[in-house]
Amino acid sequence: MTATSLNPEPPVRVRIRTHRLVLYTVLVVVTGLFLGPFGWLVLTALKTPAELASAPVHWVPAHIQWHNFADAFDLIDFLGYARNSLIIAFLYAGLVTLSSAWVGYGFARLSAPGKKTLFGILIGSMMLPQMITLLPTYLIFAKLGMVDTYWPWVLWGLSSAPYLVFLFRQFFAGLPRELEEAAIVDGCGYGTIFWRIFLPQSWPVLSASFVIAFTWTWGDYIAPQLLLSTDKSTLAVAVMTTYVSSAGTPITNLQAAASVMYVVPILLIFLVAQRGFVAGMSTTGLK
Amino acid sequence: MTVDQMSTVADRPRAAATAGRTRSAERPRSTMTARRHRAFYMFVAPWIVGFLLLTIVPMAYALWLSFTTFDGISPNWHYVGLGNYRELMNDSVTWDSLGRAGLFALVSVPLSIIAGLGLAVLVNRPLRARGLFRTLLYLPAVVPPVGAGIAFKNLFDQNAGATNGVLTFFGFDAVGWLADPYARYVLIMTVLWGAGNIMIISLAGLQDVPRELHEAARIDGASSWRTFRSITVPLLSPVLLFQTVTGVIASVQTIMPMLLAPIATTGGLTTVPQSNYTYMIHVFSQYFALGRYGYASALLWVLFVLILIATGLIFRFTSGVVFYNVDPEAKK
Repeated sequence: MTATSLNPEPPVRVRIRTHRLVLYTVLVVVTGLFLGPFGWLVLTALKTPAELASAPVHWVPAHIQWHNFADAFDLIDFLGYARNSLIIAFLYAGLVTLSSAWVGYGFARLSAPGKKTLFGILIGSMMLPQMITLLPTYLIFAKLGMVDTYWPWVLWGLSSAPYLVFLFRQFFAGLPRELEEAAIVDGCGYGTIFWRIFLPQSWPVLSASFVIAFTWTWGDYIAPQLLLSTDKSTLAVAVMTTYVSSAGTPITNLQAAASVMYVVPILLIFLVAQRGFVAGMSTTGLK
Repeated sequence: MTVDQMSTVADRPRAAATAGRTRSAERPRSTMTARRHRAFYMFVAPWIVGFLLLTIVPMAYALWLSFTTFDGISPNWHYVGLGNYRELMNDSVTWDSLGRAGLFALVSVPLSIIAGLGLAVLVNRPLRARGLFRTLLYLPAVVPPVGAGIAFKNLFDQNAGATNGVLTFFGFDAVGWLADPYARYVLIMTVLWGAGNIMIISLAGLQDVPRELHEAARIDGASSWRTFRSITVPLLSPVLLFQTVTGVIASVQTIMPMLLAPIATTGGLTTVPQSNYTYMIHVFSQYFALGRYGYASALLWVLFVLILIATGLIFRFTSGVVFYNVDPEAKK
């Protein structure tokens, strides 16, 4: 599609061909480098402890140790941790999607004095360093006896997330005005308008928001590490901390197998929901 | 009425109802306007309440703790005024960890932006399997930090890691990547691995660059590098600015050093190698390994203020450089 490719002169065509060759080579090499760490993780998961301990590296396992995956599954209560992760992720993602849609509707379709200031604070709060607020929040949750419960995720979910609010606001602001006009004339409340008219329109954003929030929670390490005891904790914490022998040394191959099993669902979700994910990122990325 | 309704459906914050408009509309339709105002606050209430209770209150609590000796255990903790801040100023560990965090941000943020932008330009060309390349390059950015940490720990393992495998294959000595002084390079590489994030966002920006500009430049005989430098980069500058700010904020609060440490628990912070002992790791070890909540809260507040200053400075220094291509006639 470049202007030069329209040029019929042969030498140019040859130049373009070598140019393309270089381009593809660079791309393939870079893509290989980007996939490398994950590929190596899979290879590590298929090796024996002896292969991982000896000094000249074993590039591929002599015998593929498929049973490492089963062993990683059995060594800890993998399913239990996965269930905890799922509960927290569904709880948070479901609540935060609804609350963010609700707040986003307010910012997109309604107005009142102070709206501009509030919106500015909302945008500014996206830049607040979350780790800084998390630590004192942890102390407060501990004081309120909410450590080792899932209440923190419920509260975080109910209070909406600025990033997702913005996503919904952008979407709702783009819908035509006629949508609620008739309803307003009929005397419908705004709650009903939101619930009956706007929410059913927003399936693409709802699912994008849910997927984004789900991957946040599934990937979060520090909040569950701080707030939950070991048996109530999530897969992220378990994968990171529990694959240790009684002597205190890490069980590398099983940990690698466990992290493959921990990461792959997220990769699959991303591949399926890619479009909404990327659309969400590029709307909120700048505008 | 119509003016008021237009502002209701305002699709830009700038176009939101100005005070004058609202006032003029209040006279004829005051009940409806009042109803709409009440509805607005009802809708934004969850966010306001949540923001107050889960952000403002904790920050205020941390500010109060930072003036005390609170450690969660001893009952006779007390107010020490600026004592923690004074101690912090004289603590060389704090200063060293702050320097490390700053250096890490200074190196990793520009590198990942350059990498992300480079990838975006690469996959923005007409290519076969362009979508596949985009997906594969973005994929690592979706991998959760725990997965990334474990993957890099294995990749850079002294004995079993692929990097040392390559080094020894070419006759070099194996390197202890995860220990001092090399651990910092591994940390930077974990950031670069997620450059697909910046790639996707830049890609959206690249596709917004008006085609006519590129064509005009080509007719004028500009080289592709010149076009990139004088057209693409200026038009992308708001995106790049946003990435710089969020990148700096993300890099100073990263817990990746913890995940790359031999034993990754908040209790096992001592295993983080010196060269990756960043400010955030220092905060964590004061918080959880030592339980010095008062002192650690002072550390947090200092970091918070420093981030605000850094963000302000970035905006200040780029205000003349960043180019906002705002088209008043744009239909969006």
